[in-house]
Amino acid sequence: MFHWLERNPFFFAVGVFIVIAYAGIVTILPDFMNSARPVVGTKPYTVLQLAGRHVYIKDSCNACHSQLIRPFKSETDRYGMYSLSGEYAYDRPFLWGSKRTGPDLMRVGNYRTTDWHENHMLNPAEIVPGSIMPKYPHMFKNVADIETAYAEALTVKKVFNVPYDKSGMPKLGTLEEAKAQALKEAEEIVANMKSPEVKEALKRGEIKEIVAIIAYLNSLK
Amino acid sequence: MNWLNDNVNMLALLGAAAIILITVFVVAKYIKQMKEDKSTGELAEENWDGIGEYKNELPIGWSLAFLGTIVWGLWYFLIGYPLNGYSQIGEYNEEVQKYNTKFENKWANPDEETLMGMGEGVFFVQCAPCHGVTGDGINGKAADLTVWGSEAAIVDVILKGSKGLNYPLGEMPAGLLQGDDAKAVAAYMVEKIAKLGKSKNPDLVAKGESLWAVCAGCHGQNGDGMGGNSPSLKNYGKPEFVVDVLNRGKAGNIGVMPKFNDGRLSDIQKLAVGKYVNSLSQ
Amino acid sequence: MQPSRMINYDYTVAKYFAIAAIILGIVGMLIGVFIAFQMAYPELNNLAGEYGTFGRLRPLHTDAVIFGFLLSGIWATWYYVGQRVLKVSMAESPFLMFLGKLHFWLYLVGVVAVVISLAMGITTSKEYAEFEWPIDIAIVIVWVIWGMSIFGLIGIRREKTLYISIWYYIATFLGVAMLYLFNNMAVPTYFASGGIGDWWHSVSMYAGTNDAMVQWWYGHNAVAFVFTVPIIAMIYYFLPKESGQPVFSYKLSILSFWGLMFVYLWAGGHHLLYSTVPDWVQTMGSIFSVVLILPSWGSAINMLLTMKGEWGQLKENPLIKFYILASTFYMFSTLEGPIQAIKSVNALAHFTDWIPGHVHDGTLGWVGFMIVGSLFHMAPRMFKREIYSKKLMESQFWIQTTGIVLYFSSMWIAGITQGMMWRATDQYGNLAYSFIDTVNVLHPYYVIRGLGGLLYLIGFMMFAYNFYKTMTASKAIEKEPQFASPMAA
Ligand code: HEC
Ligand code: HEC
Ligand code: HEC
Ligand code: HEM
Ligand code: HEM
Ligand SMILES: [Ca+2]
Ligand SMILES: [Ca+2]
Ligand SMILES: [Cu+2]
Repeated sequence: MFHWLERNPFFFAVGVFIVIAYAGIVTILPDFMNSARPVVGTKPYTVLQLAGRHVYIKDSCNACHSQLIRPFKSETDRYGMYSLSGEYAYDRPFLWGSKRTGPDLMRVGNYRTTDWHENHMLNPAEIVPGSIMPKYPHMFKNVADIETAYAEALTVKKVFNVPYDKSGMPKLGTLEEAKAQALKEAEEIVANMKSPEVKEALKRGEIKEIVAIIAYLNSLK
Repeated sequence: MNWLNDNVNMLALLGAAAIILITVFVVAKYIKQMKEDKSTGELAEENWDGIGEYKNELPIGWSLAFLGTIVWGLWYFLIGYPLNGYSQIGEYNEEVQKYNTKFENKWANPDEETLMGMGEGVFFVQCAPCHGVTGDGINGKAADLTVWGSEAAIVDVILKGSKGLNYPLGEMPAGLLQGDDAKAVAAYMVEKIAKLGKSKNPDLVAKGESLWAVCAGCHGQNGDGMGGNSPSLKNYGKPEFVVDVLNRGKAGNIGVMPKFNDGRLSDIQKLAVGKYVNSLSQ
Repeated sequence: MQPSRMINYDYTVAKYFAIAAIILGIVGMLIGVFIAFQMAYPELNNLAGEYGTFGRLRPLHTDAVIFGFLLSGIWATWYYVGQRVLKVSMAESPFLMFLGKLHFWLYLVGVVAVVISLAMGITTSKEYAEFEWPIDIAIVIVWVIWGMSIFGLIGIRREKTLYISIWYYIATFLGVAMLYLFNNMAVPTYFASGGIGDWWHSVSMYAGTNDAMVQWWYGHNAVAFVFTVPIIAMIYYFLPKESGQPVFSYKLSILSFWGLMFVYLWAGGHHLLYSTVPDWVQTMGSIFSVVLILPSWGSAINMLLTMKGEWGQLKENPLIKFYILASTFYMFSTLEGPIQAIKSVNALAHFTDWIPGHVHDGTLGWVGFMIVGSLFHMAPRMFKREIYSKKLMESQFWIQTTGIVLYFSSMWIAGITQGMMWRATDQYGNLAYSFIDTVNVLHPYYVIRGLGGLLYLIGFMMFAYNFYKTMTASKAIEKEPQFASPMAA
């Protein structure tokens, strides 16, 4: 009957490929340009925030936390305004997550603060009794990787025309300038922190991971 | 938790039941066939490693169900969530509008008890993560709301100063008054300015009045904050003051409290949580 | 009638992969059990500094089971089934033999690189595509080698018509190749920035919503082409082979196959319901998910009907039990999935524990049982010995089945409770529960899930022991049996 195809592996494989290939084209491509457009006011991450984002990814916070507020009243009451496509225009990769073991963090910058995060990341269960979130003391020891963050920012600027160094947008400049800028942002955050270890390190010009991740969390609005 | 009032929850439960039922039904059917039927049919000529193949027809039930899902798919596409007529944001707007109308009708003039209940609910979800479930501020990590708004707290403010509400006058310096003087001003403020009831040190009220000038320079003779240049002390320890804190945020000495003006709390909810917060210290 | 038995099949590579599957299965599931208990007892996060936290271990679990246990299992069966249904031995082609071994050893290098990099926190965060670009390249090379091995073997085949299993192996190869390439498109930042920062770091070619669409086009179909298609390849060979029954219907096979190929790729939108992807893409995701029930069930029904009139075997041969329960769980999860894909249900189910519940219905009941069952069937034929213990196999079956039931029933309750508490309001219209309330109620279910997982792991260890004994200490057999596997009581 249909055995012809099953006797011709080449055409069989071509047939399979055609059948599986075009769904992606039809569903992904039509809105591709639209979905990539930022909403007004969205800015790329500063180098320090990007370094924090890398810490977030490194420790897979996205395994437990979503960053996607769905348009339901119960979610907007809890987390704030529902998400818009254009707000993610500079998110590479996206960090929507697929599981909410912990709460959504899309707008956590609106309702939690530096000092709170400092206490919470050190020992979540002390701040929120019953929390099952791990402690992250190592973030107070590890140094944030500003160079890789800078490399990423420079890459997306060059390759994807992300508007760094445009007016009203974060400044990138040279690596040295970027490092100085990151230190300045870090100082503002550390001013609201208590850990002597972190403060000492900053004086030596070292930015701990905890500072970077707080910069990132504060930027989520 | 009125689970069953919500038709989506109903659907989920029905779906769950359907899964179990259908699976049990279908599996039972095939088990029965495995038990009773005999395998029959015309064998194909091929044989792979000893495996043969019947040329049986498609099972009718399966074919019909396949068609059925395709019909359902068309319905879903054209009527259920019509391609051009459905928007999830539109659906959200309707949900919120419906809720708001209902809320306004029901709680237009909430009584005390309603506000307390509502405030308690808001507090546990929005405030407890920082201030703790009892409001004690978790060992000084946020303001201790079991004290804040009381006479003792006023003394504390006078001794330590205050900052972070972001008023034009900026910070209130520490140590404007000491010892009994501070207690006296607090007593006066409780009885005469904020009108929070009886002071614990009624005998100091008079002395407090005489020292009030220290405060009046910024807060005004009657404590009204001089037209928004500093907080109105008439409201201190009242829900209105808490609402003010919620709208302005507070970058204080222990830490920072964020603003709550992004729409997550309605005005009534803010007032309600203010009432609840005040009840913690009074 | 049995010319195939004259051929001396060479199972070297199949054996390698079988052993890899068992070892990586134990590793992956051990981590699974551990992270399950971490969710019940968070102190377990602090045992190994930053390397022991849930966030670091979870991707290790998923990737160890998917790219370790599953892929090894798939390849073990390919290097076994492929030769037999194509009626050609790998020994006939030194080149294919070399490719097979290269395939294995390169893969093993990849596994080591993956474990080290994930433990260090080197990840791109995309689910089931966590690896950075150097590993991606290694994976592509391994994949191409496998492709050469497939088409090489097909090229020298004696059996002209491709058996159903081969269709599915080909589809696995093509599907994963296409999906993996597109989802992992990234720019290495070290090179693009002129030598700054970590050399292995890269940044995704897609941003935000687009990245999400590509990811779940991949993610959903990774489920299709790794958790489903190659496992169907297995059941189409091992069930008829072990039972000696001809496949119920060729027409059903062919319609299910092409139906599955066509429908699967459209369903990825069900991972993005109520997100910021366009409404119509979401709607397509829901619809195709429901239509998908039928091509999925087609294969399962075809297998169940193959056992028509053979009820006795189900009772006597524990291997048949594994296959039948697997296809039942396959039907179960391909009905549960579409229900979760309906918008209003997904609004409740998404982000909750019901999703991992659904996941493990499929992975433990369908994938796990099929791989175990397949390796059991292969063992006596690869090692020319009886299966070491039928009794052990029986107990394993029941222990693992209990484990699965505990797993999914606890996660159902947990997920639905969680979903309802997130949206519950009090009489004033406030949210009724703070987030932590919704975490605390789940504790008992997390404990039950952990115990269920532990039972499954114990069962799997019993399998490993049984397999090892079969390999080394069981009674030798002279002639390979045509059908039912020989096993000692
Ligand atoms: C094992 C799961 C888990 C992991 C991994 C995890 N969290 Fe959490 N997280 C939780 C839970 C549960 C809560 C809610 C209880 C609490 O506030 O501690 C939470 C709460 C939070 C909150 C408070 C949000 C709010 O609205 O109150 C922040 C911020 C946060 N986590 C950040 C992080 C970051 C950053 C990481 C990674 C470095 C991380 N989490 C990793 C489980 C986790
Ligand atoms: C130099 C101006 C100045 C003087 C003098 C002054 N205040 Fe204030 N006061 C302020 C400002 C500004 C704030 C708001 C501070 C903030 O941002 O928290 C404030 C806040 C307060 C608060 C609210 C604290 C809170 O918990 O938010 C109280 C109570 C108060 N003042 C009482 C007094 C009393 C009693 C005196 C006299 C002993 C006094 N103030 C003198 C400027 C002043
Ligand atoms: C992210 C943490 C956080 C959250 C959430 C939070 N607060 Fe606070 N709040 C603080 C901190 C920290 C302070 C103390 C600031 C200081 O004085 O150093 C504070 C202070 C206060 C004060 C005293 C302000 C003053 O003028 O002295 C009130 C009243 C208050 N909070 C009420 C609330 C209410 C009501 C909510 C919820 C709707 C809430 N807070 C949510 C952190 C928080
Ligand atoms: C008809 C077939 C199926 C459909 C329509 C389907 C549908 C779904 C849906 C709707 C989700 C949840 C998405 C979310 O809300 O987050 C999901 C998740 C998942 N399913 Fe299925 N499912 C099917 C079969 C299977 C099978 C057989 C397996 C495994 C053997 C499986 C494995 C998974 C996995 C691993 C996830 C989790 C993805 C993530 O990380 O979020 N599915 N599926
Ligand atoms: C011993 C048995 C196992 C246990 C105890 C276990 C436990 C877990 C746990 C606790 C999670 C995280 C869930 C969460 O974040 O809420 C998980 C995720 C996952 N596991 Fe397992 N697992 C086991 C076996 C397996 C097997 C054999 C497979 C695949 C063949 C598998 C595939 C997955 C996948 C794909 C996910 C991600 C699900 C998602 O993102 O939704 N697991 N597992
Ligand atoms: Ca997931
Ligand atoms: Ca990758
Ligand atoms: Cu899917």
